[in-house]
Amino acid sequence: MKRLANCFALLLVGALVLCGCKGGSQQETGNTFKIGVITSLTGQAAAFGQAHKNGYTVAVNDLNAKGGVMGKKIELVYYDDQSRPDQAVQGVNKLVDQDHVPIILGAYSSENTRAIVPAVDQKQVPLLMPTATADNVIQTGSPWAFRICAGSGAYATTTIDFLKAMNAPKTMAVIYENTNFGQANGQAMEKAAKENGFDVVDTEAYQASSPDYKALLQRVKARNPAVIYFASYLLDASTLMRQSAQVNLNPQFYTSAGTGFAAAEFPTKDKGAGPYAEYTFSVSQWLPSAQWKGSKEFDAAFFKLTGAHPAYHAMEAYVTLLTAVAAINQANSAQPAAIRDALKNINLPDTPFGPIHFDLHGQNPHPVLITQVLDGQYKVVYPPAAAEAKPVIPTPPWNKRQGL
Amino acid sequence: MDVYAALQAVINGLLTGALYALVGMGLALIFGVMRIVNFAHGAFMMLGMYATYVLFTRSNISPYLLFIVAGVVLFGIGYAIYFALLRPIHGQSDFMQILLTLGIGLIATDGVLLIFGADYHQINIPLLGENFHLGSHISVNAPWVVSFGIAVVLAVALYLFVMRTMIGRAARAIAQNRYAAPLMGINVFRVQAISFAIGIAAAGMAGGLLLPVFYIYPQVGDQFTLKAFVMVVLGGMESIVGAALAGLVLGVVESLTSLYWGNEWALAVDFVIFLLVLSLKPSGIFGSQKA
Amino acid sequence: MKRSHLIVAFVVFVLSLLLPLVVETGYALQILFRIYLFAALGLAWNLVGGYAGQLSLGHAAYFGAGAYGLALFSGKLGVSPWLALLMGVVVALACALLIGGVSFRLRGPYFVLATIAFAEVLRLVAKNLPAVTGGDVGVQVPTLFHGNVNRAFYWAAVMLTALAFATTVAISRARFGYYLMAIREDEDTALSVGIGAARTKLVALLVSSALTALAGALYGSLFLYIVPDQLLSIDVSNEIAIVAMLGGAGTVLGPIVGSVVLESASEIFKNVFKEAHLLIYGVLLVLVVLFLPEGIVGTLTALVRRRAMFGGIKAGAKGVAAD
Repeated sequence: MKRLANCFALLLVGALVLCGCKGGSQQETGNTFKIGVITSLTGQAAAFGQAHKNGYTVAVNDLNAKGGVMGKKIELVYYDDQSRPDQAVQGVNKLVDQDHVPIILGAYSSENTRAIVPAVDQKQVPLLMPTATADNVIQTGSPWAFRICAGSGAYATTTIDFLKAMNAPKTMAVIYENTNFGQANGQAMEKAAKENGFDVVDTEAYQASSPDYKALLQRVKARNPAVIYFASYLLDASTLMRQSAQVNLNPQFYTSAGTGFAAAEFPTKDKGAGPYAEYTFSVSQWLPSAQWKGSKEFDAAFFKLTGAHPAYHAMEAYVTLLTAVAAINQANSAQPAAIRDALKNINLPDTPFGPIHFDLHGQNPHPVLITQVLDGQYKVVYPPAAAEAKPVIPTPPWNKRQGL
Repeated sequence: MDVYAALQAVINGLLTGALYALVGMGLALIFGVMRIVNFAHGAFMMLGMYATYVLFTRSNISPYLLFIVAGVVLFGIGYAIYFALLRPIHGQSDFMQILLTLGIGLIATDGVLLIFGADYHQINIPLLGENFHLGSHISVNAPWVVSFGIAVVLAVALYLFVMRTMIGRAARAIAQNRYAAPLMGINVFRVQAISFAIGIAAAGMAGGLLLPVFYIYPQVGDQFTLKAFVMVVLGGMESIVGAALAGLVLGVVESLTSLYWGNEWALAVDFVIFLLVLSLKPSGIFGSQKA
Repeated sequence: MKRSHLIVAFVVFVLSLLLPLVVETGYALQILFRIYLFAALGLAWNLVGGYAGQLSLGHAAYFGAGAYGLALFSGKLGVSPWLALLMGVVVALACALLIGGVSFRLRGPYFVLATIAFAEVLRLVAKNLPAVTGGDVGVQVPTLFHGNVNRAFYWAAVMLTALAFATTVAISRARFGYYLMAIREDEDTALSVGIGAARTKLVALLVSSALTALAGALYGSLFLYIVPDQLLSIDVSNEIAIVAMLGGAGTVLGPIVGSVVLESASEIFKNVFKEAHLLIYGVLLVLVVLFLPEGIVGTLTALVRRRAMFGGIKAGAKGVAAD
């Protein structure tokens, strides 16, 4: 009996060995060019993984219509990290060892992205990060890591610059969800605020997806901050704004670290906070109405594919693939090291996400905009050069607002 | 912070606690009659939410009526699951029962993910914007008051069912002595099936009531499973009334913790209280049976 | 366990060590690492869950204690990684004393829920104190090995599995093992015969937690970066328990078989079924419970025994008929 089980175990191990040795198909002999993608197709972040996938799909269609890369059609090899960092690392191994991809795009979340940096470093394959905002992903010193989007540090400093330009009183409360996204942005803002003479009167971490934040908001109200900075996803953003009205919390500025407060649905009545979103400020990486060339076309193509408008995560995925392909074409090689060198020197002034190039740390100095919800629309209000409207300040108190 | 803030927190806690109570009562009923630790309980609540959501988007009838349909649907599902999956493993070890309910929970959650997608959804009913004011310091949000009222009615109905009806009495008999019950002429399987179905239906209805004030996504039920366990233990494993009271207590405790300490500790405080009760009075705050 | 069985086990052990000569890709080695690690975790869990019959669904607490001990003691106190690892094990033992002290007084589902609650409290503490633990932003873990890390960690996992296996065999043959099984079958009777149930269970938990913590430290060190939800979540506890229960709790081979089947199935499902893989996993669990209630090893053992018995009867009947 024991022999039976032992043979069984050995057989399975053997099967795996064969899997490992098989090695998958070679890059050169196929007639497609494989690019690896790690994202969260299941698990907590599944909704955003889907956004990634949709953005990548629009990009692949666009690029293949224009001839693909190095004369071949692009084939994206997806690995689902299940919203778990250890699975993301496994993904790196599989994509490199089995599928032999020369470059990896991903992951979605900051913790998953941070987790795979040592892996790509070890495998010596370039990594392009579309959406991870925590700054530790780009602070590891790895020469293989590149980030397309702006980080939480930039969010915080741009918001502070905006507040200083508006002569905001220097008291602030920071409210963030108790996750990697929230903690990273919360900490970044606390640091930036203190460095600029702001008194952080309250910091509140909350358990995401709770039905009731009124007690938390009452605590904040008691401290009377002039500015509130949120780091929240869409549904919590809606709940927080609605419950802020119920609690009658009236700071002069509602600001935020994007994401929930910058989602396309946030100002809508059906799927967001509706009228409660009015006057809120948010950082933004991109809007469909952005002035960059190709933004509207991407919006239209995305809408055609999914029936919904894209948030900036999808655009970040789109432009990440664009950048990868540009680098491969520039290097004219399928060797990871050559592609990495091309990325170091790449300069794309005209993408739908604005200009792209990478500094010494692998960071693309993507400009952060500040938007305000006015009449149910996002309007860029800062910096002045990009502004399409003047900001409405201070925020009218809840009982003075119409239409609520 | 003043007294009014505390009072407001207590009131909000009670409103939330009523929905918790409904979920917990269902689990207490299931545990009492079947001694199954139902790890899929939150998933069934999630199914109730989705059922209500689908019906609402098709028909535009108020979720405060549709939740009944959700309850009926979940009753049917519970009944079917009992006979298909739970009865065959009747009498097997706790291990296997837990594994089974874990599996069922996974199937439900991932199935919903595949059908509806991973994205969050929410509904927007006009009632959401209404607030009642008690004096100038306290306000309550209308949908919560409505769900509180309905939850109380359902809780009372469940209590009466268990106390007054034949099936309810049979369920309690099984809970008290599962070996003697069949000797008394009780059809154990049928009573268990109905009890399980009712327990699941209660969770599903709680989901339906929660839908207007919350959001819906495949994993939404997970947090409620653990809280339901806490409630059931606090209330005394088989006591439905105990679980209901424990639900209210939990809601208030979470709310006060958020007010005085910080929202991120609310769940941890739930568990710490849970552990304290387990170490000091394992039969539960309101329970009288032996651990 | 007969001597022949031990020889087979030894052969498997040696073959496992030699495997990297044939398997070289990081991907395959990491999957094998996972399989062996969860085999070790399952064996460790088995001491408490299978032999003592105490269904713990909070083993993630020790797993996390090992990993966080390694990360924080070396990161914050500047201690060398191996010393930090030992300190992490000590922390896990302390947790086990606390958790066991409280939970073992409880029976049945109360015990299960208590273990879950402890692990959850630890997870929330790790999440909510970013200044200490890095919170959800995570913390870096030093690497225990240099050079070909995938191979080194794989070997470490094999060694840990061997250690857990040897421990299990030793316990199952010793009186201590019988005490555990007596407690599992009927704690009250065991008490009446003079077995110090509380102390026995606690010792089993201490051994189990130490092994689990070692596994946690290895895991964290391979990935170099950890967050609370990755190590201290109930999913981890469930996976550890499922590996043992699926393979056959209370058997020596069970957790190993369980890990091989579950971890390879998991990876295959992910690649084949993509978004539907959790559903298939759930179906697998349900099917196993319905049709293989003793776990894989338990059911196979029962089958073989039944055949042996039946074969004996047939032979006897033939003998009688021939007469």
